[in-house]
Amino acid sequence: MATNHSGVQGGGDVYNSSPPHFIPPGDGCVWADASSLIDAACKDLQEGELVHGENFSLFAAMSALEIMDPKMDSGIENGYCTVEEAIEAGAAPVPLSFDRTVDLQRTIDVMDHLFSCEATWHKGSILAQTVFSCIYLLRLERTSPHPILNAYCRIMHATCNEVIKSISNARTHEEEDLFVMAYGLPLKDEDNERLHAFLHSVEETISRKLRACKAQPSSKKKQVEDVEPLQTNPELEEGYCRALLCRLRFRKYFDLTLRHIRNWQGKGQSMAHKYILTCLAELENMRKNEMFLKSQPHISCKDSPETSTTASGCKAIGFDATLNAKSLSPAPPRAAKIVGWHDALAYFEKLLHDFDILCSFSFDPILESILQFVVQFQKSKPDLVARAYLQLLLIQSGKLYGREFFHEVIARVLLLPDVAKDKAFHQNEFVVQLGQLLIVLLKILCTNSAWQRRKLGKTLQDWSVVSIQLELAYNREFGEAQNSSADEGLHAKVSKRLFLWAQEQTYWIASRFLQLGFELDLYSPWEYCMVYWYMSVVFVQLLEKIQLRSIANIDTTRQKGKKKRDNHAKDHSRDAIFSPSCLLLQCHVYLCEGLAMVLAALRNEGSAFKMPNTFNSEHERFIQHFELLLRAHLPEQISFSSFHESILHARVSDVVRCDYFKEIQRITTSLKGSFAEAPEKLLEIRQIEQVAERNRIALNVINQLGASDPSLRVSFELTHHPYFAVVVVKRS
Amino acid sequence: MEESQVAAIDEFHTQLSTNNSSPLVGKLKKLLYKRMLIGVNDSRYFLGVFHCIDKQGNIILQEAVEYRITSRSAPGLADQRCLGLILIPAACRSSCHVDCSIEEKMSLMSLS
Repeated sequence: MATNHSGVQGGGDVYNSSPPHFIPPGDGCVWADASSLIDAACKDLQEGELVHGENFSLFAAMSALEIMDPKMDSGIENGYCTVEEAIEAGAAPVPLSFDRTVDLQRTIDVMDHLFSCEATWHKGSILAQTVFSCIYLLRLERTSPHPILNAYCRIMHATCNEVIKSISNARTHEEEDLFVMAYGLPLKDEDNERLHAFLHSVEETISRKLRACKAQPSSKKKQVEDVEPLQTNPELEEGYCRALLCRLRFRKYFDLTLRHIRNWQGKGQSMAHKYILTCLAELENMRKNEMFLKSQPHISCKDSPETSTTASGCKAIGFDATLNAKSLSPAPPRAAKIVGWHDALAYFEKLLHDFDILCSFSFDPILESILQFVVQFQKSKPDLVARAYLQLLLIQSGKLYGREFFHEVIARVLLLPDVAKDKAFHQNEFVVQLGQLLIVLLKILCTNSAWQRRKLGKTLQDWSVVSIQLELAYNREFGEAQNSSADEGLHAKVSKRLFLWAQEQTYWIASRFLQLGFELDLYSPWEYCMVYWYMSVVFVQLLEKIQLRSIANIDTTRQKGKKKRDNHAKDHSRDAIFSPSCLLLQCHVYLCEGLAMVLAALRNEGSAFKMPNTFNSEHERFIQHFELLLRAHLPEQISFSSFHESILHARVSDVVRCDYFKEIQRITTSLKGSFAEAPEKLLEIRQIEQVAERNRIALNVINQLGASDPSLRVSFELTHHPYFAVVVVKRS
Repeated sequence: MEESQVAAIDEFHTQLSTNNSSPLVGKLKKLLYKRMLIGVNDSRYFLGVFHCIDKQGNIILQEAVEYRITSRSAPGLADQRCLGLILIPAACRSSCHVDCSIEEKMSLMSLS
């Protein structure tokens, strides 16, 4: 890093008591040195005593900017005023050293530090303070005489450009996120083929040097091939060649991954998968090479091993994060802490694994499968870049996968694919609105948990309004004749299925909204009772809507073919109501009801889990958590009173008698076969089984000991499932 | 924060600050509301109205303007920036001048 400069030339020396001439005193006044008075007077003050005027307010003074605090003071002078000044002072020499071995060491350190800076940027810091704190990147043309550094810097430029474009297009960064801000930075497009050709030639040169050094025993003999070694020490040649090659190759294949992974049509996915595997292999090579780099004698100073941003452990030269503070970038003044090199390796490994999951996506046309895939993908907590590419996979140019209009998607959801060709259908105002809402929903589901929950809460209102309007329109047009035996017109069929699906989707969003509250740790244990109660209400409604929609889909089939036997149709209805998905959802209902009643019983019979009334009453907390759902009438006529009445008389013995958890175990036993091909569903079934079993046992223990037993210690822990707690009973 | 709580904080600190009988503290109080020019150890200057100081020598200036030398090769040129209310920790203060009359300056010089 650049060293600090001290002193000011002319115009007022910092260590001189004369103020600078360009700051004149007032008319008829002079500048008088008050340092001595201040020092002497401060000795006479007591601790905590302040000297201030009558207009002083301590509360207002707390908002003062603290000078020299990097979090508040954006003007800290730290080293160089401009990039050119830094270069003139030798902060970023080219070559990095006239000793070729040292030059190589320092080049690798620059590469590693850039790698760490890139990970830091991806994790939410600003480009100007991370990747573009590199003076070599800020003045790329200076690196031309150094092909290795030049190649690496150019490919970094290209990769950063590509990532910024993708994130900007996807808009998965939050509004206030600084990720895409690149004001005043020399980012520009370069011909990709030319760049990769140059990178390839540099890689080939180093590969030849590696082959040459391996062809000869490590002695002082002259090499047979006419290949000039990278550096002067033959014993270190192989190690340095490998170190450079894996870094250059990683960069090359990472850039190729980013370009191909957006090309979902054709062979893009399979090519991206191939490049991802190569990137992972090169990252592994970088790890293997670490000990070699660490063991070399270094001239540069060493970082602490835990926080070092390079494999060698040395500080990289040619970086200064403060240079860009004076550019147009509206970066906050706080310095970005660059992640350590090992953390950067872990970050890129995870990113590549997340990309690989995207490469395995089957472009399933079924909406339910898409939603499940996105929810499952989010369980691994992907970072911003991976989520952006997920969104780009799903939605391009306002179409699903860039090829299907959303009215076609909706027609498929309604099990009426042919209706998509009907102009009246895709111009139907509700279909258009629902298409837009679906696009928004998919984009929201690709954001981070906190932003996702906030946006889901808002979109609930829109879905609820459309659902209600659809239902009213259907009832107005077709009355109560939903189950008539007469032939239903296509229009009636479409209207009915549309409103049933919209309702189901609304409750699906509501359930996701509530689940995310657990992931974000928004609920205290004494609020679990109301949360599980509301979740049970939402899950019951969701289950009902799914079953209604399934029946509606089958009913029309029955009427269409009059020769079909009613028994078959009844079988279909039963299959729909008791489909594996419905049964799994039923398990969710039982778990929520069981947990809500256990908590309610513990409150009623003992003093555990009573809500403390320090700041808010239970009613106020209820409104705070569920306001958005209540406003969207999800469901109708639900209120705090309904909750209060439901739990008022809960007793442990009654909960035991209801046997919620045993019922779950009975269902899950039959479910495993149905999800044999879906490992994530099997995992969830196992988790639910474990939660149910532990809770059943815990409930029996509480029942035997009595909830009011003062030695009983009950806690609720999310150890086996992300949002269904396990009851833990201890005796003190 | 409630207004009553703000008022309580201010009242508490007012009690601490008004009863010191030291003549030096008295002289320091006379510098309040005067323009003060403070140099910090990264070569910037801050010009503002002297508002408050504590035992450790941390100073608060009102309506402060930051002066930063634009180029080391042309030290007479400086950027200015308005910052408002600022706190300058004693540890980074390298110089402190007050805009006053010549008589007041003589009085200050007699202390050193």
